[in-house]
Amino acid sequence: MRLPRDISPAAASRRSFLADLVIALALAALAIVLAAGIGIVGVGAVLALSALLVWLGIEAVAVRLRRRRRRRASAPEVGDQNRRLDAS
Amino acid sequence: MATARVEHRHPRIPFWRRARRIFLLAAIACLMPTAVSYIGAMTAGRHNVGLGVSSVEWLRENGGNSFVSEIENWYYSLTAPSKGGPPLNALPHVGVGAAGEEGEGQASKAYRPANLKPLIHPALPGEGVWKKAAAKAGPRPPVLLTTFRSDPEYPRFVAGIAWIDSSRTTLDYVPGLAEPPEPLAHRGNGEVPPSKRRQLVATFNGGFPLETSNAGLIYRGKIKEAMVNGIATVVEYRDGRIDIVKWKSGPGAPANIWFAKQNLPPIIDEGALNPNLSDGPRWGETVHNAIRVWRSGIGIDSHGNLLYAAANYQTVESLAKTLQRAGAVRALELDINEDWTSFISYRHPSAADPSNLLPEMLRPAERYLTPDERDFFAVYLRSGQPW
Repeated sequence: MRLPRDISPAAASRRSFLADLVIALALAALAIVLAAGIGIVGVGAVLALSALLVWLGIEAVAVRLRRRRRRRASAPEVGDQNRRLDAS
Repeated sequence: MATARVEHRHPRIPFWRRARRIFLLAAIACLMPTAVSYIGAMTAGRHNVGLGVSSVEWLRENGGNSFVSEIENWYYSLTAPSKGGPPLNALPHVGVGAAGEEGEGQASKAYRPANLKPLIHPALPGEGVWKKAAAKAGPRPPVLLTTFRSDPEYPRFVAGIAWIDSSRTTLDYVPGLAEPPEPLAHRGNGEVPPSKRRQLVATFNGGFPLETSNAGLIYRGKIKEAMVNGIATVVEYRDGRIDIVKWKSGPGAPANIWFAKQNLPPIIDEGALNPNLSDGPRWGETVHNAIRVWRSGIGIDSHGNLLYAAANYQTVESLAKTLQRAGAVRALELDINEDWTSFISYRHPSAADPSNLLPEMLRPAERYLTPDERDFFAVYLRSGQPW
């Protein structure tokens, strides 16, 4: 059976998320089976989660700063506007 | 072809971004069963220490033992005490009076250990001198206590030592709420049974948890964890005799044994220090032997009496030397770290006025009169013996 290919962008996004979730669950199951105990799995998970959340946080801040800079660059400066008003 | 266009109009998520999402989801998935186990352990009522220590214990029990030990090694190495330092002016006060200061006659015939010869000179007042643990203990105190500076390189650190008269006392192994973890028919409440407190003279900590000690346990004549040859063992025979032996009877429970608690190889055997007190897998999954932490041990002297020693900043070797100096001919290391090391004597009958051997011992003197998670030993006066 082939999955339908004519899907909306949102459905494509959901599909890729589902695939990632399945892979993640398989990875988690493998870690739990192979590790010496659930405690050490938890420690690894907390460390991984912390690192990934820090990464996501830094990325979010960087994106926001970039957007703000772009907005400032595209908007006319206040001084220019005042000068134009004086001239008129 | 139109379908492909629909999908390709939106850029695919980069591989690294998907990989990150997968790891994030996997970490969350791993945390769910972990949380169930952790919350279950913390709310089961088996722990009577703080959340931090309980969490570490939970981690040890669930595959994190080596990880915890490595962190501990690292921490204790960083915080290791420096040699020397200002000399002490006085030793902590232990006991209630000098041994043998009252009553002669009957007492003069009974064996009494010689005072310990101080290692550091000039000696401090009372250093190495045995004191009675109980008020009105009579001419033959069942428990004697003393303190002395056990390591000339570290003159600030004081070891506490207890001597227990085996002819006047019996020893009981008392399971804790969580240790040993095996199902036990007579686990009790993890405390000294109220019915036996009238004769209680002392209590002290047990050994490592079974899973980290590479050792066995016989409780009430039944095997609970397979015994291991060559491991030091506190033994009570069915006739009430106590001994510390290097186990040679195989994995099962011999018919004449009532309880046998093993913990690591002997640190003293037939009067000599174990020549291999350095690290290795035989010494359990714990901090390295040369790391200075709270350590405790128990030995037996040539007259069959028990000797307990504990101090902060001890290596396995310095602990063994302390017990040897106190007269132990066979000895084993008991539990380590400040959270687990306790020797408590009771100054009056019915477990009244409990007192820690050393004032720096972290756990309260009432520790074993309330449910405790770890197993321990209780020392009672033999029936018919006057207090």
